[in-house]
Amino acid sequence: MSKLVYLVPLFPLLGFLINGLFRKSLSKGLIGVIGSGAILASFIVSLVLFFDVKSAGAALPVEPLFTFINTASFKIDFAFQVDQLSSLFLLIITGVGFLIHLYSTAYMHEETEAHFGRYFAYLNLFVFSMLLLVLGANYVIMFIGWEGVGLCSYLLIGYWFKNSEYNYAATKAFVMNRIGDLGFLLAIFWLLSKLGAVSFVEVFTHLDKLTPGDITAITVLLFVGAMGKSAQIPLYTWLPDAMAGPTPVSALIHAATMVTAGIYMVARSNALYSLSEVAQHLVTIIGLATALFSATIALRQNDIKKVLAYSTVSQLGYMFIGLGVGAYTGAVFHVMTHAFFKALLFLGAGSVIHAMHHEQDIRKMGGLRKYLPTTHWTFLAGCIAIAGIPPLSGFFSKDEILAAAYAKNPVYWGLGVAGAALTAFYMFRLYATTFLGNFRGTHEQEHHLHESPAAMTWPLIILAVLSIIAGFVGVPEVLGGGHMLRSFLAPVLVTEHHPEIEHSTEYMLMGVSVALAAIAIIIAINKFSKKPQLEEPAGFGKVLADKWYVDELYDAIIVKPLNAFAGFLKNVVEKSGIDGIVNGVGRFVQYSARQLRLLQSGQVGSYILFMVLSMVVFFLVYWNQAMITHFFQKIF
Amino acid sequence: MGTAQILFWSLTALALISAIMVLVSKNPVYSVLWLIVVFFAISGHYILLNAQFLAIVNLIVYAGAIMVLFLFVIMLMNLNTETEPQKSIWMKFFGVVAGGLLLSFFISFVISSADLKGKSAQLKEGEIGLIKTLGKALFNDYVIPFEIASILFLSAMVGAVVIGKKD
Amino acid sequence: MTEQQLMALLPFMVLAAASIVIILLIAFRQGHTVIQVTGFLLMCLVIFAMWYVRGVLPQTIAPLLIVDGFGALFTGLIVFCVLVVGLFSYIYFEEREENPREYYILIFLSTLGAAILTISRHFMSFFIGLELLSISLYALIAYLRTRNNAIEAGIKYLVLAALTSAFLLFGMALIYMETGSMDFAVIAQRLNAAGKSSALFLTGFGVMMVAVGFKLALVPFHLWAADVYQGAPSPVASFIATVSKVGVFAVFLRFCQELHLQNNSAVMMLISAVAILSMISGNILALRQQNLKRLLAYSSIAHFGYLLVAFLPGNNTGVEAAVFYLTAYAITILAAFGIIILLSPGEKDADSLSMYRGLFWDKPFMAIVLTVALLSLAGIPLTAGFIGKFYVLTAGVEQRAWLPVIVLVITSVIGLYYYLRIISTIFADSPVTIQKERSLNQFFYTASYAALVVLTLLLFGIGVMPAVIIQGIKQFLVIDR
Repeated sequence: MSKLVYLVPLFPLLGFLINGLFRKSLSKGLIGVIGSGAILASFIVSLVLFFDVKSAGAALPVEPLFTFINTASFKIDFAFQVDQLSSLFLLIITGVGFLIHLYSTAYMHEETEAHFGRYFAYLNLFVFSMLLLVLGANYVIMFIGWEGVGLCSYLLIGYWFKNSEYNYAATKAFVMNRIGDLGFLLAIFWLLSKLGAVSFVEVFTHLDKLTPGDITAITVLLFVGAMGKSAQIPLYTWLPDAMAGPTPVSALIHAATMVTAGIYMVARSNALYSLSEVAQHLVTIIGLATALFSATIALRQNDIKKVLAYSTVSQLGYMFIGLGVGAYTGAVFHVMTHAFFKALLFLGAGSVIHAMHHEQDIRKMGGLRKYLPTTHWTFLAGCIAIAGIPPLSGFFSKDEILAAAYAKNPVYWGLGVAGAALTAFYMFRLYATTFLGNFRGTHEQEHHLHESPAAMTWPLIILAVLSIIAGFVGVPEVLGGGHMLRSFLAPVLVTEHHPEIEHSTEYMLMGVSVALAAIAIIIAINKFSKKPQLEEPAGFGKVLADKWYVDELYDAIIVKPLNAFAGFLKNVVEKSGIDGIVNGVGRFVQYSARQLRLLQSGQVGSYILFMVLSMVVFFLVYWNQAMITHFFQKIF
Repeated sequence: MGTAQILFWSLTALALISAIMVLVSKNPVYSVLWLIVVFFAISGHYILLNAQFLAIVNLIVYAGAIMVLFLFVIMLMNLNTETEPQKSIWMKFFGVVAGGLLLSFFISFVISSADLKGKSAQLKEGEIGLIKTLGKALFNDYVIPFEIASILFLSAMVGAVVIGKKD
Repeated sequence: MTEQQLMALLPFMVLAAASIVIILLIAFRQGHTVIQVTGFLLMCLVIFAMWYVRGVLPQTIAPLLIVDGFGALFTGLIVFCVLVVGLFSYIYFEEREENPREYYILIFLSTLGAAILTISRHFMSFFIGLELLSISLYALIAYLRTRNNAIEAGIKYLVLAALTSAFLLFGMALIYMETGSMDFAVIAQRLNAAGKSSALFLTGFGVMMVAVGFKLALVPFHLWAADVYQGAPSPVASFIATVSKVGVFAVFLRFCQELHLQNNSAVMMLISAVAILSMISGNILALRQQNLKRLLAYSSIAHFGYLLVAFLPGNNTGVEAAVFYLTAYAITILAAFGIIILLSPGEKDADSLSMYRGLFWDKPFMAIVLTVALLSLAGIPLTAGFIGKFYVLTAGVEQRAWLPVIVLVITSVIGLYYYLRIISTIFADSPVTIQKERSLNQFFYTASYAALVVLTLLLFGIGVMPAVIIQGIKQFLVIDR
């Protein structure tokens, strides 16, 4: 049985190889079938695995594939781990992944065969890396998947590589992710040097060998990694830019799966996090700040995908709040429901963009309700779900997080509910501006408006159904549910803390958040269905529309100085190098004279001078070595 | 002060002064001539250390063959004071300062080294520099590097041919 | 010298004979193709000879050489690099004005120098090996002598290398003065007996470090690297980046291991400082570089900084990590230079980044190989570069060398930025500027492409299953003891 798990990542890998190598000779139909079929096959295997885990009630035994790294002091296996947490993520990744692949076959139909093949190859590679990430039985395999999804995200954001702006967005995403990865990598090495092991089982059983300081350092470093991948403050700015990629990519990678990798990692390491107060507070505060901050930005965005992008950042913030306050199930639950409704919203947006011929500005839309009925109804379902209106799925997952936050500190709850109200407001601003009112585009566009083909609408319908009903796997006890998800995940999330809140309080909390969301929805629909916000924002609105100028800030304090420094080195060190000589040489006609000029131009002399000077510095340092070692010992 | 010491100090002074003259001479031909004087002084040191063979080889090969070659090249290229490129005064200044500092460091390290205090060179005693000893060492213990050195010359020869050939 | 000692030296004798064979072939007026094929076979013969003599190792050939697993490992790596460089050279020199035949003599002589370095256990063989390596390199760098940059680069290298050789000799003399021996093992004994690190020894080591740093292009002795990489013919540049550096690193590593310099805090401080400086300035200098060959030069400065981090601990893990990293680095850099060589039109090398604009749309194969090589240089998982970096970091962390480790991690992010810049250029949309017709025998194109495929597969293979290579390295290193 345990061998079955290898099939899960194998199918996408094969899909990647076939589509990648033969993309020029295969027809588009075949490419689509191979690409989607690979994911469907994985999904079926994942289902089998899921029910195995469910019936066994424990992790399946899986043999390591081979020894990955073997050194004197430690051994790292290339091994997989199938337990409750990973099997659930497998289902989300392959399930939502399959629907998005299916959708892509229609959405990307205008591309040529070679590009179409490349697209599906990248997409399959992404799914492969993501599966590696969640299946890995140790932090190193997880890290490999982690970097792999970063690479695929880079390739897919820059899918239209010919546009240099997209290229810049792709590079930005990768580099920002890599900054987070530094933290992850350092955490791995910290574990290696303290425990000599990185596999989850070994680490979690030997926690007593770690001092509290170690645990705090490791968890904070891991969280830095999660910040990069899951787009939290301060490393979130890449995600909205990542919307440069094709819309299904945004749905799959930048909403449903990859960005939740950070949540997965923290949930996986819950045994570590529960031992560090500092890290938990940090996670909660960063999550809260991100949730609120990006919700305010989403209020004034006019690009349909940008609104959804900031909404994703904000929802990821909620998941981190859940992790921070110890509601691990809530966070994982929200990952699941969010995967459904955010994928749905993105695909719906894709359908709108497809119908509008790649127009993404919502000010030029409006009244699409009657042209795109399926898209409209499914989109509406997604909006209600994300706004947290019962009985749709978003309500249950968000409520679980908020309840846990209340138990920890009512202030957290208050801010969380405020964010939820903002969410409801900007989502319905988006909905109203896009689908209600009158059409504001050109006649040309109006003439061509049409509902998308079945390959695009069916995924929408399936996702809409899931967004509506998925909440019922986690109905809290107060509402008479058994919370199936919690009991399923309990063996993995051992350290989960269930706050005792009185039922009356809990009813009150739910009531307040639902009421606020409902009010926000009514205001938004009233305000924007008739008279959308068409004018350029001014005053504070402009600050929001310009995303609080964070990009500009980063540019000024990091990118520009680094570039200037490199430029300085280039001009000083290089200008006087080759260029100077070659230009100078031109004037000398005679060969011998040129030789001498090269020899005596002073350049070699300055190189030597530099070398001698650095030796002098070394000896000076050596002389004062005692003093300097003392200095360094003080620092470290 | 015995004869050996007088000789040593005068040869040392000669070597140092000529070496400085090599550097400061404007005319490259003078530089080469001063360099020949340096080689002579060093050969004198070798003789003081009872290494006659090295002294002779040094004279024949360096002071003789190589320096004559240098002189020819310089005369053929017609170098003189005017063709010498001007270096910036700062480069010269820093060069002197850095070089001087490094030199003083080396000297201070050698002088302060405890192991060397109270030791003197073996004048007229050692046998290491004699032809017989050298020959035995070269063709017994050090036969492999001797062979490798011949390959080294092969590569220098091929290199010179490659760069210098006309076609 | 016993029969067994002669046996152990067999690969090196074959290597030396190879250049003589080439000279004879030239004397009998054979063409480029014959020489190329013979050279290839001779290198295979060297590898075969190494396999043949494996039973008699380790052999000490007193007082200068020791042929052990360590030496065999590095020599094997060197000969592998020469095989690949030689293969790429054919197409490169066929398209250029210069008669390519003497090139092979010089390459083999230079390789012999590097190979001697790997088995040196004495200052004398150290110095002779180094000189053999560099004297051939002077001519190799300036091989295309009618081109401006070539002569300039050659002369620069010559002047600086001669200067650093003088420093090396001076350093050796100081150490000799201190210990009265030039044999690594004896030096170690005498230093141990003295019981403390003396100022004289440290001065000597510091001065020797100038030469080693120069050859490995470590900051602050790196200034020649970019000029020479750019000016030298691309195959020669790849030779400098791999063979020459591997040889020098091998002898440096052996020297430090033998003397247990890792216990000497002053030496370690010097090496850490050099490593940190190299990582930082290598990466920052590459940041805005528009010339691919110069960029690779700067990136190799940074990579040898990384390598020194593995070198710091001085334990088995460190040595394994260093060997592994060198292997991964050599394969990667050969793949990158292979692309440059194959894309270079006859008049000049394809070193300007603008020539790579939109390469993917025209030559997807080359573009993918180059992309993989760059990703490996950047250390992305599932490539050899990642495992190398991981291994190096492990070695560094075990030693608690936190400062170099953190610098390594941070600078590798900066590194990613400029590698991505090249990758973006490759995928960008633009009329392709490199147009090159295939005028030569199809066989050599096929062979070069096959070599590239092998290199790429190796990059992935090592990246996915590094344990195999690590096991092999361990087995070789055990022969030492």
